[in-house]
Amino acid sequence: MATGATSGSGGLGRVLRRPETGSFLGLIVVYVVFALLGGRNFLTAPGWSSWLNMAAEVGIIALPVGLLMIAGELDISVGAVLPASSLTVAIISSHYGLPIYLGIAGGLGVGLAVGFLNGLLVTRTGIPSLIITIGTMFAVSGLTLGFTILIAGSTGVFIVPDPLTKSIFGEALGGMFQVGIFWWAGFVVVIYCLLHVSPWGNWIFALGGDRQSARNAGIPTQRLTIQLFMLSGFAAAFVGVTQVITFGSAQVAAGSSFIFNSIMCVVIGGVLLTGGAGSVIGIVIGTMTFAIVNQGIFFSGLDPNFGSIIIGALLLAAVLSNDTFRAMALSYVAKKK
Amino acid sequence: MDLIGTFLRRPAAASILSLIGVLAFYAIFGGVDLGRFAAAASWVNLAANLGIVALPVGLLMIAGEIDISIGAMIPAGSMTTAILSGYFGLPILVGMLGALAVGVLVGLVNGLLTVRTTVPSLIVTLGTLVAMQGIVLSSSVLLTGGVSVSLAAPDWAKFAFGHLIAGSHQVIIVWWVLLTMIFAFVVHKTRYGNWIFAMGGDKDSARNAGIPTKRLTIGLFILSAVCASFVGMCQAILFNSAQVSGGMGFIFNAIVSIVVGGVLLTGGFGSILGIFFGTVTFAVVSQGIYFTNIDRNWSNLIIGAVLLLAVLMNNTFRKLAVNYTGAKNRN
Amino acid sequence: MSILKKLVLSAAAVALSATASSAANIYVIGGKPDDPFWSIVKRGAEDAGKVVSAEGGKVVWLGPQNYDNLGVDAAELIRQAIDQKADAIVAPDWVPDAMDPAFKAVKAAGIPFIVYNAGGIEAADRLGAMNYVGAVDYKAGVAGGDYLGKAGGKSGVCINSLPGAANIEAYCKGFGDGITKAGGKSDVLPLPATAEGNVTAVTQAFKAYLLQHPDVDSVFTTANLDAVGAVQAIAQAGRTGKVKVCGANFDQAILAQIDAGTQACAVDQQGYQQGYYAVSILNGYVNYGLNIPTREILTGPGVVDKANIKATMAGTKQGTR
Repeated sequence: MATGATSGSGGLGRVLRRPETGSFLGLIVVYVVFALLGGRNFLTAPGWSSWLNMAAEVGIIALPVGLLMIAGELDISVGAVLPASSLTVAIISSHYGLPIYLGIAGGLGVGLAVGFLNGLLVTRTGIPSLIITIGTMFAVSGLTLGFTILIAGSTGVFIVPDPLTKSIFGEALGGMFQVGIFWWAGFVVVIYCLLHVSPWGNWIFALGGDRQSARNAGIPTQRLTIQLFMLSGFAAAFVGVTQVITFGSAQVAAGSSFIFNSIMCVVIGGVLLTGGAGSVIGIVIGTMTFAIVNQGIFFSGLDPNFGSIIIGALLLAAVLSNDTFRAMALSYVAKKK
Repeated sequence: MDLIGTFLRRPAAASILSLIGVLAFYAIFGGVDLGRFAAAASWVNLAANLGIVALPVGLLMIAGEIDISIGAMIPAGSMTTAILSGYFGLPILVGMLGALAVGVLVGLVNGLLTVRTTVPSLIVTLGTLVAMQGIVLSSSVLLTGGVSVSLAAPDWAKFAFGHLIAGSHQVIIVWWVLLTMIFAFVVHKTRYGNWIFAMGGDKDSARNAGIPTKRLTIGLFILSAVCASFVGMCQAILFNSAQVSGGMGFIFNAIVSIVVGGVLLTGGFGSILGIFFGTVTFAVVSQGIYFTNIDRNWSNLIIGAVLLLAVLMNNTFRKLAVNYTGAKNRN
Repeated sequence: MSILKKLVLSAAAVALSATASSAANIYVIGGKPDDPFWSIVKRGAEDAGKVVSAEGGKVVWLGPQNYDNLGVDAAELIRQAIDQKADAIVAPDWVPDAMDPAFKAVKAAGIPFIVYNAGGIEAADRLGAMNYVGAVDYKAGVAGGDYLGKAGGKSGVCINSLPGAANIEAYCKGFGDGITKAGGKSDVLPLPATAEGNVTAVTQAFKAYLLQHPDVDSVFTTANLDAVGAVQAIAQAGRTGKVKVCGANFDQAILAQIDAGTQACAVDQQGYQQGYYAVSILNGYVNYGLNIPTREILTGPGVVDKANIKATMAGTKQGTR
């Protein structure tokens, strides 16, 4: 954090050196490109709602995944927690006919439980979180399939949510903007306060910088790690809940793309894989950029088959530019000397 | 007594014990006929295809890097071979060299981006993975108008790369064993192996000690991409067709095999024999369930549980081994 | 170490003797376990399997982990069934290039087999199978295109959320042919890998497509969640009532949509019947030498629409449709 220490280097200079600036410039470039290609539809409400709806879901998961990455960990199991939670809601509320709020509590509970397990295994065994969460991903997906077939007899379970629940979790305002966007905004505010306002934020950065030093400094690293994993499990479960309520349908084979998609959003937003650096604004910008590229392709006249190439190239371009910006910022010496 | 200690300290120890444990589990609880299982080809075929990819990726992990783009390189290899030699009718040699060339190219990109920037290899290879999926799909649609291509390879190509020994075992098994022996020799008997371990331990110290870390890293990335392409190529020749696909499943399967085999994610520790047995263990776990009466629906659960148990065992043994002092020292 | 070995060997011996007395061991190769359509086929096979078990045999289901390498994986599974000394085999001919040699090995081993779900009677004849049971993915797509075309569709699109998988490609090709024959034109909307397993991504992508292609009035979906997503997308694009949806396979959510009028039709392959009859016929043959002489037992395509919705819904609740 050497930037900003040089005094009087000018407000603009300081803004340019912030890690989010690079991501923000990337966002602008990407938006302009797709606006030019997509025309009126992309620039007006339908276009905005299109990518915002997608951003909201991956964004809710990307936030705690980003926190974990800042703390030096990874969570691959989010891809399996999402369908597990959807199916839990559907099985409890529809198959067993219990009230919907019990179903929702069940779904969120599954996310918290898996997160707790992840955190426990990572802190007690010292095995890297990449491996632990790959293991829990396999295990949870196996349990999901096994229990769903056992209880419901098929791979999908369906619910018809009552109007109140649907309006809270699954409604589309103006017929286009899903309420998930507001939930995402709420998550952003909470996580922002967590990371940048409360003391926990410092702890998370310290954890990612050097775990040993952090513990020596008195930070309850084990408890914090477990809490972070529970947060990511909760977020994945939450998206599972909103999906099943919005679409009325829960399938076992869902959620796999969220694993790498959330990592991409976080990395495009400037969070370092090695830990210790990143910001919530950056993650939000990265999520928006990812969603704009994903959805913008369908508004442009481009062949959707090129979609993956563009996304992969974008990811590489984004991290390279983040890299460059960071290198520039770190090597900046005030000229007034 | 000391023999056990020496055994446990080898990185391969836990994977061999995991293998025995899994076989026992399946035999006792699943009612598996071990004799019939041993003679079956399905798990050996799976192990061979997975193993050829797991070896260089494991080496990368020992050197402190990772390569997840292999998931897209396998269909890239098979599609290149099929499009060049099947759709365009060029000689099979062109198709095969084309597939390997694609591997060299992508490996080069992975390697250069990893060494020239500070971007971690996980992110670099994630980018190339997604990009390659798109390139293979678009190329296939552009060149052939479809997403799967037929291939009729000549007999000599089939004999060397794609036929079934005794009608059941894929010839790629021979390649797998051969490559394992070559890798084992290079890694454990030549200086390149020392270099790889050194890089995984501390890259800066390695470079300061004069090891050409950049060139070695690029070389390892090229090796893993080429091996993945090779597997795809053999599949296209054996099965007379290639299909555009995601290849995501392969990635996690390979990582599981490597980690069960004792390689440390943080680098600097592991062995070729360990990766070999880790791959065998994974193949036994995922295919063995078909020989049991256990409902297939639980197969992922078993894979996850085995992975976690195996790494826990690895961890425990390593801690024991590090703290182990021979009985004879206790005076 | 040696005691453990003895235990393992004796356990294996017990297992060996237990399985040796079985009658018809029927191996069924099908789709991956979490696939909604294939879980119904599996259910059919297992229900017929109740009879098989009662007579001392068993039905074993072999499916790939994912669809990344359909032909290769399925061919390997067929060979595995041969290895395990199957008395009879049921398998789909998804990718003839890759799978025909495996089928030929089954024939060479003298094991009676039925081709189902993919390949058609041509595959059964070519490979020397006892019969073909099932629908053909391509024809299912044609049925959908035909239905929508006859309902007035002029411009259709097929949503492909799994580009590269041969079975999905067959649906879309069939749909295209079906609607063009009825006088319309067709297109395909492939989705990138980042949309896999994410119904919201499918919805938003299709919504964008609709906005950019205002003349589209028909859409064919190949996956259950895609159908639900497509209806949502039509609503979000403000085109409810102007775009007709038809899809392959169905479940309770889709039937609810047909009942409510937001989906026009679903093409039924009666997956349950495919699994059920294939196993049933082979069981009868292996045990008693019985056979069904009718070649090509088609289980579809049947079209479910508002006309026959009520009866279909009852079956879906049971997990058999």
